[in-house]
Amino acid sequence: MTAENIFSTLEEKFGAKRETLDKWGVTAVVSPAYLHNAVQFLKDSAEVKFDMLVDIAGIDYLTYPNHEGPRFAVSYAFKSIKAPGIRIRLKVLVGEDSLKVPTISDLYANANWYEREVFDQFGIVFEGHPDLRRLLNHVEFVGHPLRKDYPAQKRQWLSTNDYLLPELEKRLETLGYKVIQRSKEVEPNNDEFLEGSIKA
Amino acid sequence: MTVEAEKPNIITSSLDFLVNWGRTNSLWPFPYGTACCAIEFMSTEVGRYDLSRIGSEYVRFTPRQSDVLLVAGTITYKQAPILKRIYEQMAEPRWVIAMGACACSGGFYDCYCTVPGIDHIIPVDVYIGGCPSRPEAFFDAMFDLQKKIKDESYMKQRAERVKDQLEMIKAKTAEAKANAKAFAQEKVTDIKDFVVEKEQNLVKKAQFWKE
Repeated sequence: MTAENIFSTLEEKFGAKRETLDKWGVTAVVSPAYLHNAVQFLKDSAEVKFDMLVDIAGIDYLTYPNHEGPRFAVSYAFKSIKAPGIRIRLKVLVGEDSLKVPTISDLYANANWYEREVFDQFGIVFEGHPDLRRLLNHVEFVGHPLRKDYPAQKRQWLSTNDYLLPELEKRLETLGYKVIQRSKEVEPNNDEFLEGSIKA
Repeated sequence: MTVEAEKPNIITSSLDFLVNWGRTNSLWPFPYGTACCAIEFMSTEVGRYDLSRIGSEYVRFTPRQSDVLLVAGTITYKQAPILKRIYEQMAEPRWVIAMGACACSGGFYDCYCTVPGIDHIIPVDVYIGGCPSRPEAFFDAMFDLQKKIKDESYMKQRAERVKDQLEMIKAKTAEAKANAKAFAQEKVTDIKDFVVEKEQNLVKKAQFWKE
């Protein structure tokens, strides 16, 4: 069974621990320091190459029954295109005091947005991420809504639309375009911020 | 009938009636569709139900040319400033229909990201229930809106507007007059001071030459 081999290698090389609570037995807990190397191993040099990152999920264990250890966790789900039956999930435990995980967006391109989403909803910072901004929530949003201590019905008034032009221009410049002149209408205008804005 | 139509005619009516008649029968909607209610609106617009029977001939995708803002779907807080701006871009007279449970009250999205009813952002004229609403319900709402428009009085609104403008003009003229008065007084005092100074200088000079 190749998955067992991969798990034993993970345990030997990267100090991973098999999660006993997992019903499917596919989860290994890795420390944040070894995460990048472990993911690189899974992607490039394992027996079955896990070339697809299915999902990155944040977990908040605040109200979880009988949980001991750090409050947050980030879970990475991997899949192999060649052997689609084999799945592996890596889990990184993150304490409330550090909240830092190394990024894997240099290995998987889609990790970029997944990590942005986890940052947005849980406030976990991915070190080395090229563009760590909020993905789903608004720029003016305060707090991280999927944390268990965020009141689910707490609503926040937001006053303006997202200003996405700088990102767009950056992307255009990487494609070889150059911004010569900018129309006056697209510049951010302080009058456009409505009542209750953080800018006003 | 034909003989009458050939001759020149005189029709008497009130201007309110004419304006309201025109407005009720050419309500052009601006569909702000964010969810499944927009699909129901599409089926209302096309052949089987045919919204153009009651004069809503065109769906205008610009707020400048539309009369009714039709909010069909869930509005999140991230979308709320955009909706408000689109409402502000629409020309008067303008009306708003909140279509479906989400636009009326937030629906079953009782969470941090959904606006609990668009009436928190913009004034709403007609609410339609349903999840999503049936095209019949939408027609009912349009008839309600037409009834509401028929009750409006263009001339009264105009009179109020003219009154407001008159008051504004009066206030502005009063302000300008006060400003001019203050300016004139300032000038007069300046000139007086100047004259007094000159006199004193002359007196000084005379005394000097006497001595």
